[in-house]
Amino acid sequence: MARRWWTLPLFLVSALAPSFSLAGPAFENTAIVRTIELGGSLVHVSTTYAVKALEPGQTTYQIALSKVERAKTSWLEAKVKGQTTPLKLSEDESSAEYLLSISLPKALAVNGTLNLVLETMQTHVTHPFPEQAAQNEPQLLKYETDLFTISPYTTLVQRTKIKSIAPNVISYTTPHDVDSFVRDGSVTRSGGTITYGPYHDIQTDTDFVAKHQQSVSVHYSFDYPVIEVETLRRTAEISHWGSNLNIEDKAHLHNAGPTLKGHFSRLEYQSQNFQRKQAPHILSDFTLHLPPGVTNAYFYDQNGNVSTSHLRTAPSIAKGSKAVQYSVLQLRPRYPVLGGWNYSYTIGFDTPLQDSVSYDAKNGVYMVGVPVLTPIPGTVVNDAEVKIILPEGATNVEFVSPFPEISNSMSTHISYLDTVGRPAVTFTYKDLTYKHTGIIYVSYQVPLSAHLKKALSVSAAFFSLFAFTFMARRVNLNLHKK
Amino acid sequence: MPAAYPLPSDLSPVTVANTASLLRIIALALISGAAIASRLFAVINFESIIHEFDPWFNYRATKVLASQGFYEFWNWFDPTACGVIYNLLHALNLPVDIRNICVLLAPGFSALTAWATYMFTKEMKDESAGLLAAAFIGIVPGYISRSVAGSYDNEAIAIFLLMFTFFAWIKALKQGSAFWGTIAAVFYFYMVAAWGGYAFITNMIPLHALVLMLMGRFTGRLYVAYSSWYAIGTLSSMQVPFVGFQPVRTSEHMAALGVFGLLQIVAFGQLVRAHVSSKQFQELLLAAVISLGLIGFFGIVGLTYKGWIAPWTGRFYSLWDTGYAKKYIPIIASVSEHQPTAWPSFFMDLHFLIFLFPAGVVMCFRTLRDEHIFVIIYAVVASYFAGVMVRLMLTLTPVVCVSAAVALSSLMDTYLDPTEPSVEDDKSETSTTHSTGTASASRPATPATSKKTKKNKEKEKEAAASAGGVLSELVSNVTSSAAAAKSATTTERGVFGMDTRLVVLLNSLGLLLFFVVHCTWVTSNAYSSPSVVLSSTSSDGGKNLIDDFREAYHWLRQNTAEDAVVMSWWDYGYQIAGMADRPTLVDNNTWNNTHIATVGKAMSSPEDIAYPILRKHDVSYVLIIFGGLIGYSGDDINKFLWMVRIAQGVWPDEIQEPNYFNRGEYRVDSEASPAMRDSLMYKMSYYRFAELFGGQQPMDRVRGQHVPIQGPTLDYLEEAYTSENWIVRIYEVKKDDVLGRDLKIANAFNQGKKRKRTKPMSRRKAIGA
Repeated sequence: MARRWWTLPLFLVSALAPSFSLAGPAFENTAIVRTIELGGSLVHVSTTYAVKALEPGQTTYQIALSKVERAKTSWLEAKVKGQTTPLKLSEDESSAEYLLSISLPKALAVNGTLNLVLETMQTHVTHPFPEQAAQNEPQLLKYETDLFTISPYTTLVQRTKIKSIAPNVISYTTPHDVDSFVRDGSVTRSGGTITYGPYHDIQTDTDFVAKHQQSVSVHYSFDYPVIEVETLRRTAEISHWGSNLNIEDKAHLHNAGPTLKGHFSRLEYQSQNFQRKQAPHILSDFTLHLPPGVTNAYFYDQNGNVSTSHLRTAPSIAKGSKAVQYSVLQLRPRYPVLGGWNYSYTIGFDTPLQDSVSYDAKNGVYMVGVPVLTPIPGTVVNDAEVKIILPEGATNVEFVSPFPEISNSMSTHISYLDTVGRPAVTFTYKDLTYKHTGIIYVSYQVPLSAHLKKALSVSAAFFSLFAFTFMARRVNLNLHKK
Repeated sequence: MPAAYPLPSDLSPVTVANTASLLRIIALALISGAAIASRLFAVINFESIIHEFDPWFNYRATKVLASQGFYEFWNWFDPTACGVIYNLLHALNLPVDIRNICVLLAPGFSALTAWATYMFTKEMKDESAGLLAAAFIGIVPGYISRSVAGSYDNEAIAIFLLMFTFFAWIKALKQGSAFWGTIAAVFYFYMVAAWGGYAFITNMIPLHALVLMLMGRFTGRLYVAYSSWYAIGTLSSMQVPFVGFQPVRTSEHMAALGVFGLLQIVAFGQLVRAHVSSKQFQELLLAAVISLGLIGFFGIVGLTYKGWIAPWTGRFYSLWDTGYAKKYIPIIASVSEHQPTAWPSFFMDLHFLIFLFPAGVVMCFRTLRDEHIFVIIYAVVASYFAGVMVRLMLTLTPVVCVSAAVALSSLMDTYLDPTEPSVEDDKSETSTTHSTGTASASRPATPATSKKTKKNKEKEKEAAASAGGVLSELVSNVTSSAAAAKSATTTERGVFGMDTRLVVLLNSLGLLLFFVVHCTWVTSNAYSSPSVVLSSTSSDGGKNLIDDFREAYHWLRQNTAEDAVVMSWWDYGYQIAGMADRPTLVDNNTWNNTHIATVGKAMSSPEDIAYPILRKHDVSYVLIIFGGLIGYSGDDINKFLWMVRIAQGVWPDEIQEPNYFNRGEYRVDSEASPAMRDSLMYKMSYYRFAELFGGQQPMDRVRGQHVPIQGPTLDYLEEAYTSENWIVRIYEVKKDDVLGRDLKIANAFNQGKKRKRTKPMSRRKAIGA
């Protein structure tokens, strides 16, 4: 018997968490409910664990995810149900399964219970099926997941709900060989919701995964385009002289839904619009929520300004306070983006510097906060690069990212009227979603001399020009006077 | 000496000179500012975008230059200014986008043109005329039409180079300076590299030299200036790959070579004459000169016949015979800017300058120095050319500005000059009055003389008052000037009093103001719309942009294979290359008539004839412009007859223009001729157009005709993309059928199968039975 998923953790846990190795399991899951909200490029999963402590003084609860699932999960967060502060998570990826250790807010007494909620965001988990669709055909996607929610602890009852927004579910897998866990039925469907379970008495048995774990898939129709931003390059440039923070995003958008079968017909598109029955896989416009107080917003691509965008600005708000209103930028690409089509564009806007930079006069330190991304609803950003360009002559640069980045680097950026160039910090990220809207904080110092450098160099240039003409007018190069 | 109004008298000459110089600099700076600003309408109303069709090629070439360096680029051949500016700005840490440099290059050069015109006119008359000429050329619509922001066209640079070359030539001629001759040659070289119209300079300068020689004005200065310009200019122009050995092999360049030879002979004759005094020998020499000249001329003619020298090209013939192009080279005639100029466009482009222009030429005759002869020749030649081709209005504009400025400035000089003719004063004093009157630049006199002037003026005032009222003054003025023409002894010529002055000056000021208003209006309304973006005004006064071109080009760029060849009419070749980044079959630089005729044939033939042509040329997409839905009149159906004509020129057996008419009418409705209805262009334009009207009678808004409800069908092409307002329609050329059938049969088979499924059984049986 291959005791895959239980032996290895044990093996490791013996080194990490003594409470595990000494006695039997410290917890028991009285119930696990996993809710999967199907989407296009994003699938939101929230799993509720009803935990009962079997031993006193336990402060670390472990959650297991399969390696495949972890690779597709770009964001996760654990909370005590009903509370808003996320719990501390530590990850252990060296085992066969992925183990997350959650530090509980307080130790549980024996038989003490707690409801934990793990929320994850999965990306690139759906695929169009069939892979091609004509312009007037629906968009069908397929989602696959494991039937059982695994856990290092015994689970008394668990169920998995898969919810589709549209009630139109084409098909779903009926699990096999689950009679030993089932009392009523292995799967039920009501409307767009498919419920697997309840399954009873899931043991932490060593051969459980190998023997019973199986993959189930749901084939459903999805009414919104499946959009991926393949690359996103964000540049934030801070100007103290202009009192301005410019943010510019260069994005390459791809419609990852079923690729267009045949060709695009404008006639059909227009008649679909006329009848208000637009095909689900066509992206004709999208909306971005920009920070309040933006000015000079622009939207262009390789061929110049895209004249079909609208911006409604909200007034600027005091720093630190919660924004009530956002500036809304409605973008319409030059052409409707059908399945398999690409569209690359650049948007940018200016915000007042005082909205995002604070100055600590005591230490002479500036602190700037730059959001990682402006999310397009329901899309995933495959590769993101955020470059923050600090003012020329900035020193003592320190930075912190709201979530771990893949890499960061310092470089020099040369722009208008620079002499030595501006320091720039670059972060790279992968698979960002609307949950990744944190703020990167960068602190730096700018000496007065650096502030004045630009003005001095410009005036020196002009002075030398005038001095040159002043001299040139008075020098006579003629060999002999006429 | 009497004066009409007082002048400050306590100024030192240095102060006056410095102030005048400062004022000139400020005026020139303001003129440059106005020249640039008036060209920015397009950027403000639309955006910083490159207009038209040609400039896109230059834009791409510049991008190559900026990214790959000069030598890589030399194979491309094109203006280099942008690349140089781009690299310079980047070296100065000014990372300006190359598109913005290209867009703003033309306005920038127009400021330089204003300066070059100032320098040129200064040589003709004086600084004040120069400033006027600079102001004129800065805002005159005739030049703005070619140099608004975004028209990144060669002409924008060319006019500056033209004016500066002429200025350097005049300067070289005046001073007999090899230095200025070399400068003229260098700018000539740049002009050769920048614009095909350099032949204008190649012929203007020799013509001027020849006329000077014929007028007996041969001097050593002319010899030095011309020889240095010709030798260096020709050698350097031969370095341009596009020109090569043309300067010694084509007729366009022969005049310059001939005049160069003649100049050598004449100079030699002068040299001999200086050393020999016999009258007979001189006559002999004259005969020798003439015979040598004739031998040279006939030699050139003979060589042309032999084929050593290429005869004039067709483009040149079309300059002499306006009907030539239409008959023999329809491709030239098909370009709208190659049409003869309509009269109103002279006024539209030049406004009141066109009236002042002859006056300025006459002024040139009055002081007929060598440089004035140049302006006269230029005026005559350019007027003729401007009448032949709309496009050559551009070369007329500078000379109109110069002569109009000379005329207006003479008028202003006369009426601004405060000196009044002294009725009682004796002869000697009036002659000095005249000399100061003509040279207005030296008007600020030294304190001693101006004091005298003041005294005299007071005396004069009393005299004028005693003489009588305004009317008598006017009368005396008129009579005196009339009389003066006959005999200078009776009365003085001149202007009396302030009122006469004011009448004339306010009048000219009014004209100048109207000129400014007109220029602004024409620029903003006629010349500042990028043809890539169309704008319309909605019923509530809002502005709607029609951006179909960029929409379709962007689609091509992002969603087709990178090496997919696009076939379109040549007008859009550069745009497709620039904005869609796809190779095209023909573009704006295609002068091979057969290539264009091939596209014309494909467009005007039925599908099954066009298909092999498309396959042979490896065409993946066919792009057409269709304005029938929103009424965009510059579409391909309206250009279609030119395609037919050009194709007919090469395949007269297969394509005949009359076949596309129905009883002499060009129709697209149900009365359209069979050839028209079967042509690929017609089918692509109206494919599924009728369905848009949902059973209603479909209407083509450009032609104002009802097209048939049953639209055309396509077998060999598939609709790939149609832009929002249906202006751009892109079709994909189908690959060969997998079963090796003819595509038409395959298509019919497919449709047949479909019909089987959809139609009721009983009816099918009935048909079968």
